[in-house]
Amino acid sequence: MQVVSLRPEIGAETGKVSGQTRAPAMIDIESVSQRFEVSGRKSHLALSDINLSVADGAFVSILGPSGCGKSTLLYIVGGFVSPTEGVAKVKGNVITGPGPDRGPVFQEFALFPWKTVLGNVMYGLRQQGVKRAEAEAQSRRLIEMVGLKGYENFYPKELSGGMKQRVAIARTLAYHPSVLLMDEPFGALDAHTRTRLQNDLLNIWERDRKTVLFVTHSVDEAVFLSDKVVVMTRSPGRIKEIVDIDLPRPRRRAELLLDARYQKYVVDIERLIDDGRDDVVQP
Amino acid sequence: MRIAVSRLSPLLACLGLLVAWQLAAMLLHTDSFPTAWQAILTVPDVLGDRESLLNILDSIRRMVIGLTLAMLVSIPLGLMMGRSARVAAFFNPLLMMVYPVPKAALMPVIMLWLGVGDASKTLVIFLGVSLPVIYHSFQGAKAVEEKMLWSGAAMGLSAVQRMFRIVLPAALPEILTGCRTGLVLALITMVTSEMIARQSGAGNILFNAMDMAQYDTVFAMIIIIGALGIVLDAAFDKLRWRLVAWAEPRQDILLGAS
Repeated sequence: MQVVSLRPEIGAETGKVSGQTRAPAMIDIESVSQRFEVSGRKSHLALSDINLSVADGAFVSILGPSGCGKSTLLYIVGGFVSPTEGVAKVKGNVITGPGPDRGPVFQEFALFPWKTVLGNVMYGLRQQGVKRAEAEAQSRRLIEMVGLKGYENFYPKELSGGMKQRVAIARTLAYHPSVLLMDEPFGALDAHTRTRLQNDLLNIWERDRKTVLFVTHSVDEAVFLSDKVVVMTRSPGRIKEIVDIDLPRPRRRAELLLDARYQKYVVDIERLIDDGRDDVVQP
Repeated sequence: MRIAVSRLSPLLACLGLLVAWQLAAMLLHTDSFPTAWQAILTVPDVLGDRESLLNILDSIRRMVIGLTLAMLVSIPLGLMMGRSARVAAFFNPLLMMVYPVPKAALMPVIMLWLGVGDASKTLVIFLGVSLPVIYHSFQGAKAVEEKMLWSGAAMGLSAVQRMFRIVLPAALPEILTGCRTGLVLALITMVTSEMIARQSGAGNILFNAMDMAQYDTVFAMIIIIGALGIVLDAAFDKLRWRLVAWAEPRQDILLGAS
């Protein structure tokens, strides 16, 4: 009971943090549209007029049905895809290509299979010119942090999906990006592994509060992890609503699942997405 | 026990073939078909002859040069074709035309231009080897996950660095599969070229012996060339396994457990 009465205060505090919209944003997406050539004359509008600002240190999820362009939006911020219209900025600078200030983590892991776990995690640091001994020491600490101590000399082929994604997260964290870009990182994992990785990701995030842009199609995952959930409509992808998640941190899954506010967020957001589906049916 | 059998099986297969050969030759009993035993006894004679040995070494030298040149040209070409649709569109029609032509059929024309010496034979080996190496390098490069390249780009690797440090190692298993096929093709084109441009080499010894009805030598040469192929292929496979162990399932462990 006491815990419940404490919550509004903590909630208010986090609300204050995520409410600092006046502070210089880490990511600014301004009037971004993305059109893909489908075949010859046809083209497909994947994203339509997206405006989004992500504050430094915020955990923001982009949620929407498959094919709503949410991954494309992430790739635009990553600099892997250039928008047809509009600009994306990081720390006020227009994004023209990939860079070590924005570290991606993909659903497909995309590890380097010819490198060991240690080799993968060290790769970015070595590329940045960090000396071998120093890069190795840092990487070993990170590998321990993601719970893979003892697996340093294993090849990706020898690891399970969950372990591979832990390596991928460590590999990206290693070169200290200002923003983590996570593209359905737990989408290929079984429910149990998924839950464990969500918890671990939150623990890591709560330590250094990196800005995270997190694409998912799981409502629970988005609410559990985020400060803000950006709900998108089915194609063409538009921002339907941005929901502030005023839940106290550090979040504990067991407590949260029983929390009426958490449940309400989940139900409300699910309803928002269902409305989006009706939009498509109506011409 | 099963492991021992599987290790020995290539040896047993060879032995079986030799026994079948021996029996068939004994049954037919003609001069043009010596027994396996006679052929094997002739092998040391051939290898012991200074001139024959130099000829065989000449062949190997040409083969190695042709194969190396082909790899140096074909691997980068295949990788670039795999990563750039424009490069692929340019070279594909060319390769499609060259592909079905037996490279030995080009030998007369090449001999006309370059003579019967090393240059012609090396060029034919080069042509024979190139296509599978280009094809496999192309396939390997094409299959490289886009997101692996993106991960590298985010770390700050330039396009050229990504080619050397991501596309090349990621495609290596496939490239080496192409090279293994290329190695066997190099041996085949080596012998063929020497049969056509009969000036030196293992193929030349074989056909000279044929002309002089030295059938023991003919069959001994076949054994020598065959053994050379088997040894080179096995050595290359061992090297390949060392280079791309990361891509292979750990079979040794599985076998040990069963």
